[in-house]
Amino acid sequence: MLNALLIATFALSVPLVLAAMGGFTSERSGVINIGLEGMMLMSCCVCALTSVHFGPGIGLLCGIGASICLSLLHWLVTQHYRIDHVISGMAINAIAAGSTNFLADKFTDPTRVGQVPHFPTLLYLILAVVAPFGLFLYAKFTRGGLRMLAVGSDPDKARLMGVQPVKVRFFGLIATGVLTGLAGAQLVSDSGVFTTNMTAGRGYIALAALILGGWRPIPALLACVAFGFFNALQIQFKGAPVLGVNLPSEVWASLPYLVTIIALAGFLGRNRTPAGLGKP
Amino acid sequence: MSGITKRFGNVTALDSVDLEVAQGAVHAVVGENGAGKTTLMRILYGVLAHDEGTIELGIDTSGIKTSGGIRPGIGMVSQHYGIIPELTCLQNLILGAEGGPILQPRQAEAKARSLAERMGFQFDWSRDARELSPTGAQKLEILKLLWREAKVMILDEPTAMLSPADSDALFHSMQQLAGEGATIILVTHRLPEVLEYCSRVTVLRGGKRVDEKLVSETNGGELAKLIVGGDLIQREPATERPPGASVLKVSQLTVRGDRGNETLKSVNLEAREGEVVGIAGVDGSGQRELIQAIYGLIEPSAGAIELSGQPAQAGVPSRIERGVRIIPEDRHEEGVVEEWSLDENAALGLQRLAPFAKGSAVDPSARHTEAESIAQRFNTKHGGLNMPMASLSGGNQQRFIAARALCVRPKLILAFQPARGLDLNATQNVYKGIREACDAGAAAIIVSFDLDELLEHCDRIVAMNNGKLSVPSRGEEKDRNAIGRLMVGAE
Amino acid sequence: MNWRLVALILGAVGLFAVAIMLAGASPIGTVVVLLKGSFGSARALSGTLRETTPLLMLGLAVFLALRAGLFNIGAEGQFLVGALACAVVALRFPGLVGIMLGSLFGAICGAVWALPAGLIKAYRNGHEVITTIMLNNVAAFLTSMLVAGPFKGPNQQFRSTSSIAPETHIPNLSLGPVDVSYALLIGVVGAVILSRWLKRSVSGYELQAVGANPTAAKVAGVSVAQVTVRAMVVSGAISGLAGAFHVLAFEGRFYESFSPGFGFNALGVALLAGGNAYGVLPASLLFGALEKGGTVLATNGIPKGITFYILGLLILVAAAIRYRRVKVVA
Repeated sequence: MLNALLIATFALSVPLVLAAMGGFTSERSGVINIGLEGMMLMSCCVCALTSVHFGPGIGLLCGIGASICLSLLHWLVTQHYRIDHVISGMAINAIAAGSTNFLADKFTDPTRVGQVPHFPTLLYLILAVVAPFGLFLYAKFTRGGLRMLAVGSDPDKARLMGVQPVKVRFFGLIATGVLTGLAGAQLVSDSGVFTTNMTAGRGYIALAALILGGWRPIPALLACVAFGFFNALQIQFKGAPVLGVNLPSEVWASLPYLVTIIALAGFLGRNRTPAGLGKP
Repeated sequence: MSGITKRFGNVTALDSVDLEVAQGAVHAVVGENGAGKTTLMRILYGVLAHDEGTIELGIDTSGIKTSGGIRPGIGMVSQHYGIIPELTCLQNLILGAEGGPILQPRQAEAKARSLAERMGFQFDWSRDARELSPTGAQKLEILKLLWREAKVMILDEPTAMLSPADSDALFHSMQQLAGEGATIILVTHRLPEVLEYCSRVTVLRGGKRVDEKLVSETNGGELAKLIVGGDLIQREPATERPPGASVLKVSQLTVRGDRGNETLKSVNLEAREGEVVGIAGVDGSGQRELIQAIYGLIEPSAGAIELSGQPAQAGVPSRIERGVRIIPEDRHEEGVVEEWSLDENAALGLQRLAPFAKGSAVDPSARHTEAESIAQRFNTKHGGLNMPMASLSGGNQQRFIAARALCVRPKLILAFQPARGLDLNATQNVYKGIREACDAGAAAIIVSFDLDELLEHCDRIVAMNNGKLSVPSRGEEKDRNAIGRLMVGAE
Repeated sequence: MNWRLVALILGAVGLFAVAIMLAGASPIGTVVVLLKGSFGSARALSGTLRETTPLLMLGLAVFLALRAGLFNIGAEGQFLVGALACAVVALRFPGLVGIMLGSLFGAICGAVWALPAGLIKAYRNGHEVITTIMLNNVAAFLTSMLVAGPFKGPNQQFRSTSSIAPETHIPNLSLGPVDVSYALLIGVVGAVILSRWLKRSVSGYELQAVGANPTAAKVAGVSVAQVTVRAMVVSGAISGLAGAFHVLAFEGRFYESFSPGFGFNALGVALLAGGNAYGVLPASLLFGALEKGGTVLATNGIPKGITFYILGLLILVAAAIRYRRVKVVA
């Protein structure tokens, strides 16, 4: 029972962690990114469709490529057209929801049965552990990391020191594409098929975890695992009585959201928002 | 630099400007706001591209690596400082010149220490830069130039935020650096600095180079004439009048900061009708809290505020209602809504008062009329009252904000650095406007970090230091040195 | 017009054409089918107007919040809560009383659902995008749980309330062959009121000051926290009212998955609307037409997802046109 709960927690946390880290490289360089959801979804769809024909390796690369494309679209319109970042993020999500529905409808082979070929989920678990620590070290000990934080805090002053925000954000959003791409591919490898809107709000949850973690990789990782744990609880206790009370599964499903709201209302007093978030 | 031309859209910001600076010199560039000083410097620095002209550097720049188009060997300290508060002092120091893809914090810190020692500065390198005082930030900026091995150092209005003593210290550091072979270009509008510390001076006006002089062969009056292209408006001598009724009376005012510390300590202050009171002090001495408390933005923990003999009610709206007006410190953030039109901005802060409001409704035609007169008062240059505020330069925004504070029945004017970003003539005009309002029965409290400005324009000056307010003793009311001592708490 | 904008528009058109051709149809033909399916006949137009109604109301709600600087992504959840509350009340009180009480109750519940997001934003600085998304999810689970349990209609097979009495329906106005619900007309009146209020009242001025620059608004004597909470609550009330109207005018009952994503589309509507509340009218009509036309596309073998794709591109182009950089001229 406990074992199953742990395994489920890990499986459910991994896509959240990867997506939250994608949010980290974007938001810490100053680009608000509510398009994580769409980027993940895009990767899910493209990865599932291409894996069938070209195997898991090419499929993974194509999934990542697709979410990088969306991520760079976000970069283009926010940095060169100066569109509000939230608006662009919403548009990205709409484009992803629309085009994946469309692509899956057109190109899924209805005669095929069984799962699409995929890599073992262990691969993604390892990546989800490595990514936060890697990013932590990157931000603290490398030139690129320092420049990312500087641009995220004050793009104008960073520009004066010879750091080009547009360039820094370009690489930040490439990283976002890679990480959300991985998150999407993990979902496909976990479920074995693509279904419409299969990300089901995970991108938003990842963003919430990033914010709960104060835009820091390690706390964000913990927040993701906490969300994964609640989700696992919900699946485990679905319909089963807990402490003598038979709670509807909806109560369990609502838990992560309620926890986030309470956390935002209660102990998250200090605002750690990167100061340059959303600034040109 | 020769023949430098820069256009922004249809506006020619710089028109074929020449500038030659000798190595080891302290060279001043002076001019009104919008004369093109900062633009010229940004081009020299390399963060802005010029349309025409050539730049030649006679310095050895081999072995210096820069990024982002910045010319090697050139460093610049901008007006608003380039310190990012969220980063540590060390991170700020090395940003943009990190010396490799992997940071070497220990080596960097050792080098930083030796640089600081050379200048006689002290830093706790691992602390967040947000904790730095303005003086500390200024010192860090200078170390940033040294870290980058800048041979040519551009300082854009470096003393805007410093006390006289700190400014003097800064210029001594500059002279030390010049003595070691560095070339320093000082952009300023304070002529005493030019006359005291610089060897040559270039005057810009309207994007053109007007003249270049040896400092030893010129004087303040001549330079001022060159800068404005005509005679300065002369201030009329203040007429002595008996003080009127009390407008503001602050007694035993105490304010606590975020961390529970007292940022204002039992302050007493009175201003009477017709009086312009200056508050001198180094930045961060409690002036900000005093103004905010009088304006109603923060609640005092003890003490009383009386307006025209009546106790003031809590909250900003009631104070505005009773004629308290503010020229806020940060014009972009506090004074205007940049994406709104000038028309709409005219009512900001006065939106509940007639003529801007008729009951609970907005009166657009009255607002338009007021906006016109506000823009006219201090010659705000604009492209139409329906244009967004963001289309105005900082100086023009400041003129607009100052005029707005004076436009509807002011009784108490709280001005925080009202001349910030203004040229000499506009400064004179704004102070003249404040004086006129006071002659009509208002009082003004003026905070400035520039003691000379206060000495010139105020009837009486008090000094703040570490949250305490002190009044100069009898006979020393306008004594520069006496007030300077009060500012640093030496008495 | 600058070349960058032209490039973006051409790029968007190109992306649209590529997607259609991937589906094996001609881009122009698709546009024709879309237009015919949404405006081509009286029936099509009636359908479009029906889709427009909730989008108009929700668009106004999101627009109002947007003017106060708040992204009310929670319109979806407020809509659901308001709709269920209204259905429950309208079932108890048939007739005009039910319409009035149902609308009132729906608006109140929508407002209550928005309140936490407003409070957390105002007093804890927790981002409203996050809290409202969370509240949306909770609302979806909560309403689904309630229609499965206490509020489930006795004769309903699925998770749904009973249908309200015919006399409790908001009637339609027949303009020739085209049916227009009075709910839509109320929405149009709402747009007029909102636009006038924002432009001509001191409180509207203060609300927009908070949205554009909260620091300056504070210095101008506006209580930013109060305005934030009020804007969020009123926005929630309008969303709840939209849910109530959707029950009273069209659906007649509340069921699980009641909203096909109206709340998210409403954000698109509000963003597309620009700076004036009148802009919500054409924007919601456009979204309504795409929604209606999309169902026709699906019968022609082009997946309905294409409409979302078009919306996303449209939002980007519209935003790029609006957010052109301001040049300093003086």
